Order: sequence, then structure tokens, then C-alpha cells
Amino acid sequence: MPRALWHGSISFGLVSIPVKLFAATQRKTVRFNQIDARTGARVRQRRVSEADGREVDLADVARGYELASGRYVILTDDELAALDPRASRTIELIEFVDQGSINPILYDSAYHLGPDDVTVKPYALLVRALTETDKVGMARFVMRGKEYLAAIRADQGVLALSTMLYPDEIRPVEEIPELDKVNEAEVTEAEVAMAHQLIASLDSVTFAPERYHDTYRQKVLELIERKAAGEDELIEVPTSKGTTTVVDLMAALEASVAAARAARAEASTGASAGPADPVGPDGTDRQSA
Amino acid sequence: MAPGRVAVVVEGRELTVSNLDKVLYPEAAFTKAEVIDYYVRVAPALLPHLGDRGLTLKRFPDGVNAPGFFEKRCPGHRPEWVETAPGPGDRAGPIGYCVLNSAAALAWAANLAALELHAPLARCGDIESPTMVVFDLDPGPGRAMAACCEVALAVREVVGELGLVCTAKTSGSKGLQVYLPLNRPHSHDHTSSFALAVAQLLERRRPDLVVTTQAREARREKVLIDWSQNSRHKTTIGVYSLRARPRPTVSTPVTWDEVAEGVEGAPLSFEAAEVLDRIDRLGDLFSSALTVHQDLPAPRR
Repeated sequence: MPRALWHGSISFGLVSIPVKLFAATQRKTVRFNQIDARTGARVRQRRVSEADGREVDLADVARGYELASGRYVILTDDELAALDPRASRTIELIEFVDQGSINPILYDSAYHLGPDDVTVKPYALLVRALTETDKVGMARFVMRGKEYLAAIRADQGVLALSTMLYPDEIRPVEEIPELDKVNEAEVTEAEVAMAHQLIASLDSVTFAPERYHDTYRQKVLELIERKAAGEDELIEVPTSKGTTTVVDLMAALEASVAAARAARAEASTGASAGPADPVGPDGTDRQSA
Repeated sequence: MAPGRVAVVVEGRELTVSNLDKVLYPEAAFTKAEVIDYYVRVAPALLPHLGDRGLTLKRFPDGVNAPGFFEKRCPGHRPEWVETAPGPGDRAGPIGYCVLNSAAALAWAANLAALELHAPLARCGDIESPTMVVFDLDPGPGRAMAACCEVALAVREVVGELGLVCTAKTSGSKGLQVYLPLNRPHSHDHTSSFALAVAQLLERRRPDLVVTTQAREARREKVLIDWSQNSRHKTTIGVYSLRARPRPTVSTPVTWDEVAEGVEGAPLSFEAAEVLDRIDRLGDLFSSALTVHQDLPAPRR
């Protein structure tokens, strides 16, 4: 049984409907781990300081909002908590609208609202009323310190809740390039009639999602199975990395820089004139890059 | 490990440097070790300006006396900690440009003999919003730095009339560049039309000195104000970048007093060591490019 993400109740007139919130969707994209292609070791991500490259403990990580490049204001957890919407256990229904009047682009994440173990009657009532009127209830609720706008509808006998994006989170269409050219494009009546005909020939009236499958995912899983079957193609993941000797860059440069400076000093005090040869200061020719 | 290659660690990041003694600037006997050394030392001043821009590298693997090549697409054989950001590409889509956001990343690029770092006017987080306007002043035949300085002061006067401030840097080559910091949302169209308007105004005020067209004949004895650099797909030499000139000169921020002295003929050219010394003494003279927030006049409709 899935775990409820949130408990509360829908406030619907004088009735209160206890509900539990469940995630309605699960992503099935094939997930990969990052592997160092040279050694096969797992790639780990670490929080490191830009100042010294050292790892930063999670407890020492603060939230900074960038004002200008490199200038931040730091916001503490306490400061943010003070701004949190008042935690409440209520999904407050505000109004009922026609589903067709909601721009689908505003729908964000989908959840199911399950009924409470004991009080099922008000739940059944709301499902039936929404089904028969074919309306969507717009509601407000607070979950994990964030206030959401949500749309509640009946879907095959269960209440479905979609959190909604706010209108200012939708990017303006003016950002799409070349759109003005589309508005200026001239099309003839005959061309429009042909487009209508094409649509009519592919018209199915209702959308049947079960006819569609993620073929890319299937292909990736097949490829993984084929590779896993041939043992030699598997990448061995070593548990600890071998050690290599590395030196500090500035230390490595020091000798070279000093040698180049010495060569220049000698050239300027010595008898040799004209530009130096493209030859290393130790006299050896350096052709390769 | 092959001879001439050294595994090193910079700020906790590992990379391999090679052929440190190779002379990249023969006239100055300036070696690759010195190029890397310069970029690591200049990093604290350079990174705030260029660290979050998708850079185009101009590489000179055989030194400045051989032709170099521009590299927009960040080389695939980079360490995993060298980041890339999508930028203007070709018909096949956006290109992943190098984001050199640490001294280690600068050292890596320097080891590829990427002497010149060319930067777009927008940061990689929002490539549609230039953070500044550039007036690229390029002396035509018969003109030199002194004339560029004169035009730079004229640009400063015009933008000053609009209540805006600007700052100047040498190109590290022959010219000078005036930058007008914005750090507020503007489109490339807006900055470009503003730069054109200022350039054309100056062309009318000083027909003896200023030209806005690229045609070589028109540029004789004039300074070209190249306003067209204000474009999402164009890059200008990055501040504190070396140039592939006979000597290791650097695109160096200068004070307006120095620009005024430049009109009188004072030389306005700085090499790597001088630039590090200037930063020690004067700090980052280009800091207003980061700290000043201002808006251009609204575009005319």
C-alpha cells in the first residue's frame, strides 16, 4: 500500500471530509549512475568550497540569494520558517469551475485523495456530486511549508488533486522567437480546408492513453539486458581507488618559471641580440604541444 | 606518464600539465609555465568577471608566431570538473561552451595554450540578457591608441549625459574597449540599438575621428566604434585575458585618468607581470562591471 504524503480534510460547506494524499504518478525513466569511464569507479558528487576546494559539511551550508555576481544575502532557516504559511490541515474549496476553462499548462503534480478509514460517506457524496456536475473544485492547502492552489475532480470514483502553477510561473509566449511571423503568415481558405480534412481523417474523439508506450525506455531496458547477459561487457566497479602521485601546480611551475626568467635575464645582459629561438630554456627543442 | 607531463593538483583538483618549458611568445621568451602561472595568479580578479560565462578559447599550441584557432565547443577530453554551458550554436543546436570557474579550470585551459579567452556579454545562466554594453574601439590605418582614448572619453561624455557610468579596458592589442555595466535585465536588441545610437551620435559630432562602418577605406585615419559586438553570438576579449601578440600583453582595465594621459600619447599597454602588480596595488579596476546596476533608456518603438 502506498504511503500517504499528507493527512487532512477537505472543507466543503458545513461538511468536513477527512482525506489522505497519495502521489498519483511514478516516473519510469531509466535511471543511470555516473561511472568514471577510465576506471569504472562510481562518480561521487561532493560539496566543495570554491575558495579552497575542501569539502563542506552539510551543517555549514547556508542559503544565499545572489544579488549581483558574487554578492549574496544569506537567509537562515529560522527566517524562512517565520515566513511559512500557517500550517493547516485543511483543503479549502473556494469555487467550482468547468474543467475546459482551466489551461492545462497550469497543472503541475498529480495526487490521489483517499478516503478516511471510518468516515467515508462525505467522500462518496463529493465524488458523486463532482461526477454528475462534471465540475472541478478549486482549493487552497498548505503542504510541507508551501501553500498550493489545487484542482480537485472526480476520476473513476476517486478524488484526484492536481497542484497548480501560479500564472506568473508560466513563461510569456512573447519569449518564443519567430512567433510574430506566424501571426503575419497568410493562408488561403483552400489550405485551411485541407488542414481540417487531415484532422478529420485522424479524429479519434477520445484519447486512449493505453495505446501509447515509452518505446525509448523499452529499448534502453532491452539494451541493458543484452549487455548484462554478456558478462565481458559489464564494467567492474572497483571499491577503492588506487593512489597516484600528484604535486602542487604552483610548485611544479616554480622551477619552469624561474628558468624562463633566468634565460631572459641572461639574454638581456648577454651579447645575444634579436628574438629568442622557440626553444626551451634548457636548450632542448619542444615541438609537441 | 609520458615525459614532459606532470600530474598536479590545484585547489584540490587534479590535472595534467605538459611541456611547461615550451616558449609560446618567442620574442619575449615567455613559456607555457609562465602562461599557466599568470592565469592561476590572476584568477581571483578574473573569475568574478568571466567565471560564469560560456567562453570561446583561442588556442595557440605552436605559440603566437603560428596561426591560432578559435574553439567554441568545449573540448571533450576535459576533466569532469571543467563545466560547460549551452550557448549560441549552429543549425545542429546549441554548443557546450567551457565555463572556467576556478583557478584549476583556468590552468587547464592555459595548458591547452588557450592564450585568449573570449567572452560573451551575457552570463551562462541567462544568455539572452547581456550584463553590459560594449563599445569596441578599433583604430583604423593611420590611427593608434591615442585616438582610441579620445573616442573613449567622448563615449564616456555621451553616456554621462544620460546619467550612466562606464569603464574602460585595453584590448591588449591595438584598441580600447568601453563597457557600460547594466546588471539589470536588457535584451541584446536593446543594448545593440543603444550602442549603435551612441556610435552614430559620435560619428555626427566627430566626423574627423569616428566611423561606424566596417569598410576598410572608410576607417582610414578614423577609429571604428564597433557597436555590433553587442550581439548574443559575438564575443569580445575577456578582461585580464592574455593576447597572442609578440609580447604577453593583457586586456587590462584602466582608469579614466590613464585614458586621458593616453590621449597625450602615454603608452597604454600592459604585460602579464605588470597586470598582476597593478591588481596588487590598485585592486580590480574593472569591479564596476559587477557592482554597478543601471538601466538604458527605454528603446524607441
